[in-house]
Parts: sequence; C-alpha cells; structure tokens
Amino acid sequence: MASPLLEASELTMVYGTVVKTHALKGVNLTINSGEFSSIIGYSGSGKTTLLNILGTLDRPTSGTLRLLGEDITKMSDEQLAIFRNRNLGFIFQFHHLLPEFSALENVLMPTWIQSKNGSMKMASRAKELLELVGLKDRINNKATALSGGQQQRVAIARALINQPQLILADEPTGNLDSETTEQVYDLMRNINATLNTAFVVVTHNDHIAAKSDRIIEMKDGLITRDYPAAAMDNDAVWKEIAPKYCRYCNRDLETDGATALLL
Amino acid sequence: MMFELKIALRFLKDGRGQTTFILLGIAIGVAVQIFLGTLISGLQKDLVNGTVGSSPHMTFSAAETADASGLSSANGFVASSAGNFSRQEKTLDNWRPLLATLDQATETTAVSPVAEGSGFLLKSGERWPILVRGIEPERANEIYELKSKLSAGTYVVEGDQVLIGTSLAAEALLETGDTFTLELPGGQRQSLTVAGIFDLGNNSLNETWLFMSLSRAQRLLGFGDDISRVEVQVEDVFAADLLAEAYEKQFIGIKSENWKVQNASLLSALTSQSSSSLTIQAFVLLAITLGIASVLAVSVVQKSKQIGILKAMGTSSASASRIFLFQGGILGLLGSVLGSGMGYALTQAFLWGTSIQTGEALFPLEFDPAAAGTIIAIATVASIVSALFPARRSASLNPIDVIRG
Ligand SMILES: Nc1ncnc2c1ncn2[C@@H]1O[C@H](COP(=O)(O)OP(=O)(O)O)[C@@H](O)[C@H]1O
Ligand SMILES: [Mg+2]
Repeated sequence: MASPLLEASELTMVYGTVVKTHALKGVNLTINSGEFSSIIGYSGSGKTTLLNILGTLDRPTSGTLRLLGEDITKMSDEQLAIFRNRNLGFIFQFHHLLPEFSALENVLMPTWIQSKNGSMKMASRAKELLELVGLKDRINNKATALSGGQQQRVAIARALINQPQLILADEPTGNLDSETTEQVYDLMRNINATLNTAFVVVTHNDHIAAKSDRIIEMKDGLITRDYPAAAMDNDAVWKEIAPKYCRYCNRDLETDGATALLL
Repeated sequence: MMFELKIALRFLKDGRGQTTFILLGIAIGVAVQIFLGTLISGLQKDLVNGTVGSSPHMTFSAAETADASGLSSANGFVASSAGNFSRQEKTLDNWRPLLATLDQATETTAVSPVAEGSGFLLKSGERWPILVRGIEPERANEIYELKSKLSAGTYVVEGDQVLIGTSLAAEALLETGDTFTLELPGGQRQSLTVAGIFDLGNNSLNETWLFMSLSRAQRLLGFGDDISRVEVQVEDVFAADLLAEAYEKQFIGIKSENWKVQNASLLSALTSQSSSSLTIQAFVLLAITLGIASVLAVSVVQKSKQIGILKAMGTSSASASRIFLFQGGILGLLGSVLGSGMGYALTQAFLWGTSIQTGEALFPLEFDPAAAGTIIAIATVASIVSALFPARRSASLNPIDVIRG
C-alpha cells in the first residue's frame, strides 16, 4: 500500500475563550493517494472545521497533522502558504473566484503566486484544464459573467493547475442545481480517475457521497463511521447513508429507478 | 510582471469610479502645488530682478586697513583721499588680478571696474552736484543695460563724450551735442559733451550720475591707475553673499558688499513668503496622503474576500501587503504626473490670461521640470507611506474568516 497522503491524529479544535465550542474532539484520519472520500454529517458536526485544518488554513488546538510526510503543525504561516500553493487545491462552496479577473486568469492565479511571473507553458496548461472542465469557449470571460456551475468548474480547473496530490472541497455543489451538481461531481470523479488526484469532499448531497470510494461520517466533532462505498452495491450504500429515504431498498427495483425516485 | 503589481493594477482598474476620483484629487492637489510653486518663484524672481536686475550684486573696494594705506603710499599710489574731501573712500590699487579672476569665474555674468568721485556741473552760471562714474562702456552696459535705457543720443563714452541722466538734462537744459563744464573738488575744470541721455528709472540716479570713460575719470580724480571698486553681477543672486565672502578671503586688502545686506527686509519678506508657500504645499500633500489612505482603507475591506482567497491559495502576508503598497504607489505616481501636466497648463493659462490686455504677462513664470520631478517623487513616496496602514490590514487578514463567509 502507498504511503498515506494525509495522517491526522487526535485533532481537537476549541473555538472561543469564554464560551468554548469543542468543534473537534479528537479526530483520527488517514487519506491515501488517489482516494475519493466524502465527509457527511449534520450541520455543526465539525466538517468545515476539519477540512480547514486538513487544508492548513487553520491550526488545530491540539493533535498532529502530517501531509505528504511533513509535520504541518511545526510550520510557520509563510511556510504553510508555500506548502498550500504547491501541494493542495481548494474548491469552496461559494466559488470564490476573483471577480476582477477572467476565467483563464483565475485558473493561472496559483501559478502567478508561485513563480511571480506568468509563463507561456502555464497558460497553455490552463487552457487545457479549462477545456477539460468544458469551458473552452469561456476562457476570456470575466468570472462574474459565468453561471454558478461554470464558476465552480473554473474553480476546479484552478485547484488543478499546480498539479496537487490532494484537493479539498467544502460543499462544492452546495448552491448548484441538481443537474449541475451531477456534472461537477462527474468532472471531479473524472479527474480523480485520470490524474489520480485524491479528493476529500464535504457534502450534504447523499447522491455524491454514495458514489465516493469512501464515506466518512461525522457527529459532534468526531468521526463516527468510516467505510468504503465503492466496494458495496448501491442498495447497501443507500441503506448506510440514508436509511430513512430507503423505503424502496428491499423492493426489486432497478438502481436507476431508485435513484430517480430518491431525487 | 510581478504578481502583486498585476493584482494591484487590476484592483485599481476594476474600481473605476473610485480610482478616477482619487486620481483627480491627487492631480488637483499636485497641480495646485506646482502652480503655487511656479507662481511664487516667478513672483520672487520678478521682485529680485526688479531690485537687482540692473545693478551690481556685489562690489569689491579697498579695505580700510592701516597696512594697505601704508603699502599704497610706499608704492607711490594714491591711496589717500582725492581732492579735499576728507571722507573720500580709499581707492583700490592692485585690482587687475581681481578683475581677471572675476572675469574667469563661472559664477559671474558681468564684471565692471568703476572710478567714482563727486563734482559739479556748471551751466549758465548755475551748479548741480553730480557723481562722476568712470566706466569701461561695454562692461558697464552688462550691468546697467545703458544702451537700452538711452532716451536720446548714442552710447558713446570716450574722450570728452559723456552720458547724463534725464532729470539732470532737464534741469540744466542740456541736449545731446551740448557742452558743459565739470568742476572737480580740487578746483580743476573740464569741458565735456553730452553724447547721450539715459533713464535708469530712478530719479536720484537720473539727477546725479554722469558716465565717462574710466581712464578720463581716473585722470580727473587723480586716481592714477586706481579705481573705486569692481562691480559684479552673478548667475545665482542668492549666492552673492557667500561668493563675495570667498573673494574677500582670497584677495588681501579688499572688502566686499552685496545686495543681500542692503536688501535685508526684502529678503526676509521673500523668506516668509517662501515658507508660507511651503506650508501650503505640505498641507496639500497631507490632504493627498489622507485621501489615498482612506480610499485604500475602504478598498482593503471591499477586497477582503479576494485577499482571503489569494491567501488560501498560498499568497504570503508580505505579498498581500505589497498589493496595497503598489496601489498607493501607482495612484501617487499617476496622479502626480497628471497633476504636473495640469500645473503646467495652469501656468500657461496664467501667462496667457494676464497678457490679454497688456500684451505682456503680469510677470514671467517659468515651469521648472526639476521642481515638478521633486513633487512627483515626494507625492509618490507619500502615497506609498499612506498605503502602509491598509497594507498591514491586508497582511493580517485571515483567509478562514473570508472562506467561512
Ligand atoms: N469561528 C468560529 N467560532 C466559534 N465557533 C465556531 C466557529 N466556526 C465553527 N464554529 C462552531 O463549531 C462547530 C462546527 O462547525 P463547522 O465545522 O462549521 O460544522 P459543519 O461544517 O459540519 O456544519 C459548530 O458548533 C460551529 O458553531
Ligand atoms: Mg460547513
């Protein structure tokens, strides 16, 4: 088995000093390269907090985190910035493109941050990525002149430009309609398959979770369940993640039909 | 192009209205600074020129030391009083080396030796007290611009041909070509002819001055080869005092005078005018700086989402602050270059506007590119400094706060 991309042990996070919120209460997690994982759980269970710590955007109150074999907790803020730029990709719920820049420029942004200078090679790579996410003819559109789904696809291309081994996404389809959600998900899955990029995706969408390699369930700041989804058949997965919707699980229906009804 | 500069430019371009207004603000401020500066320096130049434009800026005469007089008499030069006047100035003997040095100095623009003494003009049984000034015509003209100030006759100062002033000519009823008698304190008399009549724009000079050739004046006044003083104009009138002092040290036995001593009250007026102009300029600069600081402080809040995303993607805090320092610098540089253009246009408009009626501007204004360059540099630096506070806020922004929304 390949060495893990990410190893978190006993991560805790306490917000506030007077009124203390224990957002994480000792999380242990290992992510392997090429893995496509979903984190699910009720609102307030600590998913975003965990993802931000895994992405080095925030520091845990205690516990250790190793990324690509390096102990992240010992790095300075500036070292972390460089580490993020080189090794991690982010996709946020609210797209978070820079509205002043075009789609192409937004995709190039991480390379500018890295080298301080643009290069022709990077520009052609960015175009390839925009083509990959299906925005070949929107390259020079301002970010604000794109639809929500298009913006999110630009964000995916941006997350990929520095060829990170791990992409962290916090509810990337959270405010997209179901059809666009499907497209964005397929795209991420595609990239995962072709480029072997590992994904950790926080999602409320059970549909997406169901198609992941692995499902991580959180509750009250702890990982309560962690199981492979790829190995199971669809019914079993649905039974696990959404038993209340699974009225038809025991009936003899086609998988597609079940899915359609669930939507 | 540097990444931070790229972001800074785009932020400015995107905030079109805001950017335009602050640029206009800076430009107007700088235009005022430049116009005011040009106006004040033009006014001062005009004043100084009116005061010392056609008179000596510094003069060198014999120092009144016992040693010098002893030496002079030992050499047989006339270092004593000429004629009966006991308060007559001491004459300057060994003056040719001084003249040669002054001629060669790059700081000087005109050098003129003068032999001076008093006398009386006699005409039709009347006497007018006058001041005989022996000159070398071409050299004296460089200081007094006599050629252009002749109201009658020609500029001939040689032999018995002399120049007198308009007032004297009117009182003694003299015209060009007329002759009169000059009586010197010693009692000797000399018949002279009026070659030209000058108007120096000063009644007392027009009434008393008489220009004749240096050699004749020396002979009539009994100076031998001596002169009364060397009169000098210099390139930089405000350095006249320092220059005069330097020559006084270099040449033993001479003493100097300069226009600054004689015009102390004018100079102090000019100084206080300059300092009030500087004060205004400083406050304009302060207003510009505050304007930029407030615009960028607003911008850092407006762009906090973008800064947060950039930081999440790996932009360092130092980079994040540079984005705002660049914005400050760009605003300052662009605004002040624009303002310099406007300032130049204002000076041209002033020259044109004040010359409509008279055909000649109120006073000459000279747009000084070096001064404009200085103002641009100061404004740019001040703008960068004013961006420090927003830049620090940008540096300390936490990406988490932005990403959480
Ligand atoms: N900045 C914060 N300050 C205080 N409490 C916070 C902060 N961020 C999150 N929390 C709290 O931590 C808990 C976990 O939040 P979060 O990680 O956002 O959960 P999720 O993403 O699963 O909805 C919640 O109780 C939330 O109110
Ligand atoms: Mg969340």
